[in-house]
Amino acid sequence: MNIHRFLFLLLALMITVVIRVEAQKDSVEQKEIVRLHYFNSNNSLQYLLLESILKTGKKSEPQKHKVFKIFLDSDKVENHITKVLTDEYGKAKAVIPVSLKPIWDGASSHTFIVVAEATSKEEETSSEFTITKSKIAIDTSSAEDAKSITVRVMKLNNGEWVPAKDVEMKIAVLRLGGLLQVGDEESYTTDSTGTATAEFKKAGLPGDQQGNLILSARVEDNDELGNLSIEKSVPWGIATKPDNNFFAQRTLWSTRFKTPIWLLLMAYSIGIGVWGTLIYLVGQIIKIKKLGDHFMDGSSQPPM
Amino acid sequence: MINSTAPTSEEITRDLLPQKFGTRGKIWTVSLMLISLVGVFAYYRQLKYGLEVTHMRDYVSWGIYISNFVFFVAISLVGSLITAIFRLANVKWSTPLTRIAEIIAVSAIVFASIIIIVDMGRPERFMNLFIHGRIQSPIMWDVIVIGTYFFISCLLLYFPLLPDLKILIRFKDQTGKALNRLYRFQGSFWKGTKAQSRISRKSIHILCIIIIPVAFCIHTVTSWLFATTYRPGWDSTNFGAYFISGAFLVGAGGVVVAMYVFRKVYKLENYITIKHFDKMGKIVVLLALLYLYFNVNEYLVPAFKMKKPEAEHLTELFLGEYAPVFWFAILVGMIIPILILVFKKGRRPLPMFIAGSMVVVGAWFKRYLIVTPTLLHPFLPMQEVPQSFHRYFPSWEEWAIAMGSLAGALLVITFFARIYPIIPIQETITEQNGKDEHS
Repeated sequence: MNIHRFLFLLLALMITVVIRVEAQKDSVEQKEIVRLHYFNSNNSLQYLLLESILKTGKKSEPQKHKVFKIFLDSDKVENHITKVLTDEYGKAKAVIPVSLKPIWDGASSHTFIVVAEATSKEEETSSEFTITKSKIAIDTSSAEDAKSITVRVMKLNNGEWVPAKDVEMKIAVLRLGGLLQVGDEESYTTDSTGTATAEFKKAGLPGDQQGNLILSARVEDNDELGNLSIEKSVPWGIATKPDNNFFAQRTLWSTRFKTPIWLLLMAYSIGIGVWGTLIYLVGQIIKIKKLGDHFMDGSSQPPM
Repeated sequence: MINSTAPTSEEITRDLLPQKFGTRGKIWTVSLMLISLVGVFAYYRQLKYGLEVTHMRDYVSWGIYISNFVFFVAISLVGSLITAIFRLANVKWSTPLTRIAEIIAVSAIVFASIIIIVDMGRPERFMNLFIHGRIQSPIMWDVIVIGTYFFISCLLLYFPLLPDLKILIRFKDQTGKALNRLYRFQGSFWKGTKAQSRISRKSIHILCIIIIPVAFCIHTVTSWLFATTYRPGWDSTNFGAYFISGAFLVGAGGVVVAMYVFRKVYKLENYITIKHFDKMGKIVVLLALLYLYFNVNEYLVPAFKMKKPEAEHLTELFLGEYAPVFWFAILVGMIIPILILVFKKGRRPLPMFIAGSMVVVGAWFKRYLIVTPTLLHPFLPMQEVPQSFHRYFPSWEEWAIAMGSLAGALLVITFFARIYPIIPIQETITEQNGKDEHS
């Protein structure tokens, strides 16, 4: 009897736990996050990168293949920038069309309006992102034993270019696969004149054939200005000579016309040895056949 | 032979002549043909839509096809073991098994060549290998050595068949007109004269010598396709010996399975005896222990060091996604067969058949494990690639082609057994006469 009571209590407890777990599952909220990043590269190429994430509790996952409309300053048809579809990482790229140039030139700051179209499951949602128009310049100075890089960031304020202060940026050398910081500091911040100066401490870096290095200054995800980047080529590296002789040698990695002699000798001698023997054996079959034919023609050689 | 009175030459001939398919034989053949046809249809789809129909992507670019290729190359090595090594060592008891071993070798090497072409996205470019091939590439060495091994295996199959063709021609009533025409075309010139026999013996001897280094080359070069590629799990100097020991094991396992089936179907109990199973069982144990030794070397040494990229690969094998397949291959492919065959009772036909089948199945999965998990663990991290690049499970087309090729190889063996004597008749008679003279 006691066992039955115990089992009944255990069952009731289990049901309670299951109901609570299910209830918690239901109560986990889903939140859709849309981010828009503005990129300005070398003060010329401008584009937008849209990122859409669905957050469920603590879990975030990209919203794949979702359609968004992007507008400039107003969600009217004439302000429509483009319609984008997110990829499997929940990202989509957009370029501001030339037709919107008058609107773009008409103000110091702009608001991008991102509209997620209504579907059978979701209602239409809208998000806004504001940026101030800006420009970035890079300059270098080189003395005998000191080289420095000066980066200046300006922003448009009521139609006038004014220094952008307290803008954090990276100043680095572009290398294959990433950025190499030029000095000891990881990042630099502009002063009241909108200027950040970095000392170049990477002497002896291999450059291209002329010894050129590419310097790069990058402002990343600034709340007001977005993403700015600029590059400049400077002759501060060591000229490297391409090894033109590399593929001209007889090596295991060169073309078939440059096979190492030892390999050719080995391969051909093995090939000739083995296939020579096989051809000899085929000859033996022919010999056996001739002997048989000869026997049929009336030879007196006795069979075994 | 187990009979108290030794069979006469006529009895041996009658027992060993090829037999027509019975109902079971027809069902077996039609089933294999159907599986092969599904494979052909899947290959048609692959040709039409490209390699996209497979689940091979940028990282796993060698999938089930290459696993199958390695398996076929491995099993083909048995021809050199049973035929050549045993012949040169003057091992007489292996005579009834030589042709079984050789036909397994030939059919396996044919399908190894086919499956490698199937793996090519553009098969019509195959000739480019010869037109623009670089002798520095192990792939080129593999192509050359496979062709050579195929040719040698065919010759080694053909020379000992000549005396049997003479017998087959004599039994026209039993073999039928069509087959008789084939036998005449292939060997009507064989009269069994002393000169012919001397040339044939000498040629077989030369072939037995030459096939051993070529057989070692074929599987060593196949292992180098992996070992010369810098990858976790493949970066090993042990690979040649590791592959060859595994190849001998799967080949011997394949012969054991074939011995049992042919013995049962064609009622060859007087020719493939308990003694043959006992001896083959001992060989399989020896080979399984040898392969196990190489496996311990191959996995224990890197596992002891646990270098970071190797650690990821080994953890996946030992405890991760591939652990069930890995432990299945080790247990079923090596340890359980050893435990069965190490006892005398385990070396009787039925347990031998079970152990042999386990060796073959385990060996197939072992090849899959050599190829795929390594490709999923490159040294450089997989970044910014679609999700499908991170995993690999063959598509139905890949399964159909792989199974179709296995069925095709079995079909070649089946047709061969239908057309030619699966046990050499003349050699058996000669050996029997020799025994009679001694007694």
